[in-house]
Amino acid sequence: MSRIVVTGIGIISAIGDNADSNRTALQNGICGISSIDLFETKYAKELPFGEIKISNAVLKGHLRVSFPGVTRTSLLAQHAFEQAIADSNLSSEDLSDESTAFITGNTVGGMCLTDELYNDANKRSTDSPYVNSYDLGSVTVYLQELYKIRGISNTINTACSSSANAIMYGARLLKYGKAKRAIVGGVDSLAKFTINGFNALHILSSQQCKPFDQNRSGLNLGEGAAFLILEREEDCIQKKKYAILSGYSNANDAYHASSLSDTGEGPYAAMTEALKNAQLQPADISFINAHGTGTENNDLVEGVAMKRIFEKVPPFASSKSNTGHTLGAAGAIEAVYSILSIQHQELYPSLHFNQSIDTLALEPLQTFQKSTVRHVMSNSFGFAGNCSSLIFSEI
Amino acid sequence: MFYIHQSSCISAQKAFSDPSETSLTASVNNKLYACDANYDMIPPNTLRRLGKAVKMGIATGMQVINQQAVDGIVIGTANGGLEDCIKFLNQIIEFEEGRLTPTNFVQSTTNAIAGQLGIMTVNKGYNITHVHRGLAFENALIDTEMLLQENPDRSYLIGGVDEISEYNYTIDTLAGCYKKEDVSNKNLLRAASAGSMAGEGAAMFLVNNSKQDAQASIRAIKTLHSTEFDSIEKTIQDFIQEHVSGEEKIDLILSGKNGDARLDAYYEKCVSLLPANTPVGYYKQLTGEFSTATAIALWIAVTLLSTNRLNALLEIPATLQPKNILLYNTCRGNQHSLILISKP
Repeated sequence: MSRIVVTGIGIISAIGDNADSNRTALQNGICGISSIDLFETKYAKELPFGEIKISNAVLKGHLRVSFPGVTRTSLLAQHAFEQAIADSNLSSEDLSDESTAFITGNTVGGMCLTDELYNDANKRSTDSPYVNSYDLGSVTVYLQELYKIRGISNTINTACSSSANAIMYGARLLKYGKAKRAIVGGVDSLAKFTINGFNALHILSSQQCKPFDQNRSGLNLGEGAAFLILEREEDCIQKKKYAILSGYSNANDAYHASSLSDTGEGPYAAMTEALKNAQLQPADISFINAHGTGTENNDLVEGVAMKRIFEKVPPFASSKSNTGHTLGAAGAIEAVYSILSIQHQELYPSLHFNQSIDTLALEPLQTFQKSTVRHVMSNSFGFAGNCSSLIFSEI
Repeated sequence: MFYIHQSSCISAQKAFSDPSETSLTASVNNKLYACDANYDMIPPNTLRRLGKAVKMGIATGMQVINQQAVDGIVIGTANGGLEDCIKFLNQIIEFEEGRLTPTNFVQSTTNAIAGQLGIMTVNKGYNITHVHRGLAFENALIDTEMLLQENPDRSYLIGGVDEISEYNYTIDTLAGCYKKEDVSNKNLLRAASAGSMAGEGAAMFLVNNSKQDAQASIRAIKTLHSTEFDSIEKTIQDFIQEHVSGEEKIDLILSGKNGDARLDAYYEKCVSLLPANTPVGYYKQLTGEFSTATAIALWIAVTLLSTNRLNALLEIPATLQPKNILLYNTCRGNQHSLILISKP
């Protein structure tokens, strides 16, 4: 079967507004998790966030958006989307060709506008510009209309693995001849909805998160967006290629709505199936970009599942210690980081780690290093048991 | 092409679930609420925490899974448990981000229906939720078609679910989706004004590659995002040319016409592209309009292939027994879908 290659990337996160600045921050162990400047929430003083320090007004200026009704989620998506299509040299004809698919992973949509949504939903408004901008599909539809994208389009919500599934769906559309190129990725912005939801579940940390540390105390929410351009290798012989998307998987933990099973059934199945899909052995994996949220439950279970699969667990790290947990964007942002690792043959460290989890005795990579990087596995596990793994390989 | 083996449906029409019922269930206050269903399969302590979309999704899903086990779960829902979602949001505002309970949050994420079904049936296979507004269910179909190419021996549960919440009714009314004047569903399709009528429901199917004993075959699915008549016309023409061979004909168009005068031209265009005497059936006066109404349309189409008990409600000739049915729908005039379903 055709190999699926990545011909363009675009990204914005708390550690940079393009691929180069994200890479520099990863190399230097920069943490973008800080006290909040722009977003208004009661928890601004109590909890740190992976906030992108660029206001909506500045984003709109950069993106030449002068019309009403565009949410921060859509702006972040547009920012990463425009980088990715420019990087892959897609023309406006390419974009509106029916063989171009466009898939977004997303979990908050326009619900970042809590107060506007409250007023609109409770009959306290009459003339709101946002009435078509709240649903999850609104982000995808906004970019479709802006760029006249007519082919197969989709929005996927599998919680924290949404954009991993968007990438997987796009790759499958290419494999089965339903599209010639696929723009795939995800986005989420900070929202009172998720801040209060995760806070009610007592999994937000008041400190910068410490993935895989014995004394980890929860996750930090972040925001961001990333998109990849996927094409079949034979359709883009002349083009620059970053990496091959060699494997992917989707499995369910089938245990609990908001936590993973002790034995990590879903994570185990996701990683195992992705290896099988890529026709690789565990020993072939050079590096794992772990889901590694920093919660009690995730890091222990992910570690247990990794140990079940890998006789010797390869170097691994969680970039959520740099960006915070960007939910629907996480799978795509971490796909970009995996691709950068392969492109530059280097591994980025996990931050804030001090002491291994007693029962695991696993240490994430803590220093930046140049290394031979052939295959990177990127994990994304979400609420409702939605677990996915992607494998990117060097060309 | 793949095959439907089991199907279940919760809708506003009693006649859909009860073959002895033949009359039209009327709308209430411009809304078509889904009839209460049997939720016995949901444990009581779980049931009382669930919103209507999740309940409808679980009930229809379990009805199918109880007949035959599945290898994965593929759900389309534009909004999932939106009522719970905005309840949680209201608490955030009204309690000024005070102490909140996470139940509404966890149950209101759109992937909760697929997740709950996975947990209840301990299904560790493929599990996904497509939320792309008026093409959420269509993407579930496209996804399933690919899954059955990848895994030819497996069976999947596929379905579409959405609920009316007071909140999205208010928001969508502001967006002009629903009629401002009072209207009865009996007259919905004859109204010459903008907007439709809100509806809700769920339909689920067991699908696989086995033709034997199948209820229906899904032969093709096509989606398009455009408001341009030329490109919609070309898409419909190409679809028919590619998938309906010389000797075959479309016996019935199941039209998504919803009473919104602004969208009539799209539906008329579709009908005009088929032979002049092709019968046209309508269902939105029965289901109301919602983003995943095509899931119910598919359930109706499956039913029509084996019985004519719904013909009167759909306003099609009583003796018509279609073999090939074309479903055409547009959501808000920019998302379009075509589904071809046939007797296996």
